[in-house]
Amino acid sequence: MNFFRWLTSKQLMAPAGPSPDAGAGDDEISDHELIEACQKRDTKAFETLVIRHRGKVYAMVQNMIKNEADAWDLSQEVFLKVWKALPKFEARAKFSTWLYRITHNVVYDWLRKRKIESAGELDDGILNESDIAAGARTIPTKIARPDEALANLELGKRISIALATLNTEHRETILLREVQGFDYKEIAKVMECSLGTVMSRLYYARKKLQTLLCDEKGKD
Amino acid sequence: MKKEKTEELFVKWIDGQLTSEEEVQLATLFQENENLETELQEMKSMSESITEEIPASVDPPYGDFFNSQLMRKVDLENQSGTPVKKMQRRWESFRWAWAPVVALALVLSFFAGHRLSRPADIRFVQEREEEVISAFLPTVYFTGESMEADVIADSDGDISAIFVHGLSAIRDDIDFGTVTTSTELPKSYSRSEARRFD
Repeated sequence: MNFFRWLTSKQLMAPAGPSPDAGAGDDEISDHELIEACQKRDTKAFETLVIRHRGKVYAMVQNMIKNEADAWDLSQEVFLKVWKALPKFEARAKFSTWLYRITHNVVYDWLRKRKIESAGELDDGILNESDIAAGARTIPTKIARPDEALANLELGKRISIALATLNTEHRETILLREVQGFDYKEIAKVMECSLGTVMSRLYYARKKLQTLLCDEKGKD
Repeated sequence: MKKEKTEELFVKWIDGQLTSEEEVQLATLFQENENLETELQEMKSMSESITEEIPASVDPPYGDFFNSQLMRKVDLENQSGTPVKKMQRRWESFRWAWAPVVALALVLSFFAGHRLSRPADIRFVQEREEEVISAFLPTVYFTGESMEADVIADSDGDISAIFVHGLSAIRDDIDFGTVTTSTELPKSYSRSEARRFD
């Protein structure tokens, strides 16, 4: 069935009341219905699904790799993979869990590839953006220790930097739990590991973050 | 208590997901270590700060462009997913296997051809062998195990007589009118005899 015709029929069947705008109309459609339409290769339904979930995927990727341009490209890759794999999606898991599983794979593939490609090269990520901006000093100044640098920033940025110092698995576990609000089982599914591993990663990641954030807090 | 279990208890306490039984277990740990509760409380507030400070959703820059780009890729994917194209891609994906398959087919056809032509060759070779044998070797006869022969030789008269015992008797029910019989000698024998008297 054509998505627009299907959408119209949904709105006609909706209870009488103030007519919702297009966005609100889209919100009435559940992910499940959209997925069913996508499985029949309805691109309009897929676009709606993308609009609904792209923010979360982009935020997750961006927090994982700390690079806007690459996060944008990788988010595109995630959704393209979703489109390809949707006919095989059987709704045994929650769509969000499945979506983050694909995101996890895309990010880890990218990180692995980047690690291979950049072996022996200078990692641009270690440079402070202000030091390489136009008009920046050409002579490198003394770079503050991570805990000193953290103390001078607002809390959001300090957390963000502290998160970046964690290893990939710990960072992802924290993001899935604290930011995306996944339960332990969902995290285990996304990261394809045991519940015990999830618990352990959460504990050590939190402990490390606490150490990093409390150290600089103590210096304030 | 195992290290893994204590870690699980701490994590669950921070997330407020302890069962009543686990709460009792953790209370014991709190009594044993005075600083533990404060430490976990700090972890808990840090976790809450992360939830507050890091947004769960950030729309990608140029959202409309994001979607238009993505949908273009989806269209391309759909076009490349038509049955004909799919079949072409499948063939292309197996291109690497063509060379060994062709080589294998050549080898198999060679062997098949060789095998088909062999019976004629064998017949020809066997006939040739028979001719060669009959030309250079004398005809040798072997008796069966149940047969005995007495040879009486007279060197002066250059005559010899051979008595053969043990041959089965000719059955009475054989009708010689219908049985195909031949009085001709084998060709090879005739040839060897002819050569002897040349």
